[in-house]
Amino acid sequence: MRRSSGGVLLTDDELLIGLASGSDAVLTQLYRRYFPMVLHFVTSNSGSEDDAKDIYQEVLVVLYEKVTNGSLELNCQLKTYLYSVGRRLWLKQLAQRNRHFINDTEAVVAVDDDLTDHEERNRQFDLMADSLERLGEPCRTLLEDFYTRHLSMQDITEKFGYTNADNAKTQKYKCLQRLKRLFFSEYKQ
Amino acid sequence: MTMETNDDQDIERALHAYGERIRFRQQLAQVHAGLNMEAMREEAGVYREETVRPGRIRTFWQTYRTTLAVAASVAVLTTFSTIFLYRQYQQSHQQQQQYSLLRRDIQAIKSSQKQLLNDITGRSRALSVNPGQVAGTGFLLTADGYFVTSNHIVQEADSIYVQSQKGEVYKARVVHSDQAHDLAILQLGDDSAFRPQPTIPYSFDGKSSELGERVFTLGYPREEIVYGEGYLSSGTGYRGDTVAYQVAISVNPGNSGGPLLDERGNVIGIISAKQTTSEGVSFAVKTNYLFKALENIPADSLKGIPLNLNRKNTLVHLPRKQQIKRMQSYVYQVKVFKHEK
Repeated sequence: MRRSSGGVLLTDDELLIGLASGSDAVLTQLYRRYFPMVLHFVTSNSGSEDDAKDIYQEVLVVLYEKVTNGSLELNCQLKTYLYSVGRRLWLKQLAQRNRHFINDTEAVVAVDDDLTDHEERNRQFDLMADSLERLGEPCRTLLEDFYTRHLSMQDITEKFGYTNADNAKTQKYKCLQRLKRLFFSEYKQ
Repeated sequence: MTMETNDDQDIERALHAYGERIRFRQQLAQVHAGLNMEAMREEAGVYREETVRPGRIRTFWQTYRTTLAVAASVAVLTTFSTIFLYRQYQQSHQQQQQYSLLRRDIQAIKSSQKQLLNDITGRSRALSVNPGQVAGTGFLLTADGYFVTSNHIVQEADSIYVQSQKGEVYKARVVHSDQAHDLAILQLGDDSAFRPQPTIPYSFDGKSSELGERVFTLGYPREEIVYGEGYLSSGTGYRGDTVAYQVAISVNPGNSGGPLLDERGNVIGIISAKQTTSEGVSFAVKTNYLFKALENIPADSLKGIPLNLNRKNTLVHLPRKQQIKRMQSYVYQVKVFKHEK
């Protein structure tokens, strides 16, 4: 294993714990360590460097979300897991482009369940983006400020010019109810 | 109300998760922007030197084993297909009265039928008003819209629509019909895009199943999806027909084309008919013949979209109720419109 930057070389467990905690340094180390593997895999199977970047980032999203919601079951090296997920995602892309994949450089483990969950989450997030879009202003920005940009109710009160924080809370509640209806009218499980 | 509060929590949780995804994506983009790409390329080059591990061959073999097995059996099938046709002919002529195909014939309202055919935008509304002339069941072969049902449901159809349990309606195109084995392969979303489903939870088992195997099916003997269970009672179908299993399961007109699954959630057959002279004697075409039908599809019928069956079964360890829940969205009602003769 080559070291791509200064600092201590973390173990798989340390990488996962750091990733879950949101550490920039750990994510950077993790990203650099295995990107070359995916870069090689994708570019030697009819993909571009940009494809490799997209696939790799998708792989890390899968890993991150599984680590943070406690559903990651790692029965192999982290490297093997990342490779297997990336391979599956890239195979799917290739199938959509009517091409077929040929060269493996690593051992592969089954990750179908992980990816089924991931696709379901993607579907849910697409629908959320779509519902927020349809919600219109100012509701959309208000909810995004609170839930995705983590502004405080006080910040939101000032930004939107509400008379007080209670008023802003009421608005937020109303917006949430509307979003709920939009979202669940499409999302049935 | 509790229901209300749960929904509130759900939407908040979904929003949080959504926000977290966006934040993480931004963090990734930042890390990527800080990369020394030259160093990454150089390191990627190291992988190029690595020799391929022996494990690779096995992986390849596992992935393609089923395909190879099916390919090997094609030659045999061609020889025997005339015999199958002959059997079919024999059965349909001598024993028709005892053997009943499980399609549901419905009196169609002639005048509204024409409207329906032109009505694309208000489709689900039109369908619920006009139930079509023949109804049956079918299920997805692939998450992107390949589908199987009984050939006797869709034969001589002017148009075919399928409706999911959630009420989504798609127009379907017949990709291949295999009259000898009473199977039809359809593609959903003939005129509008099929909304792909998450990966199919069941897999397909073409091996011969054991007598006494517990089995279940989902189908549409009426407008609602209906569950039925039973067991495999014979390795051959009506009058020793080797193409089908005999199943002790209660099915009704409308169940035709539905999946027959074993306890682990493998599709072992497709429901096709029942014997009218005794209760609970039903027949299902063996999955092996589905494989053969798929192999016989001319490449240009697929219009460049490969049809690869799911090989990973995610129902294996689930309790029955969960299996049913996960299967439901892959089993559709098939509605067929025909000209009055």
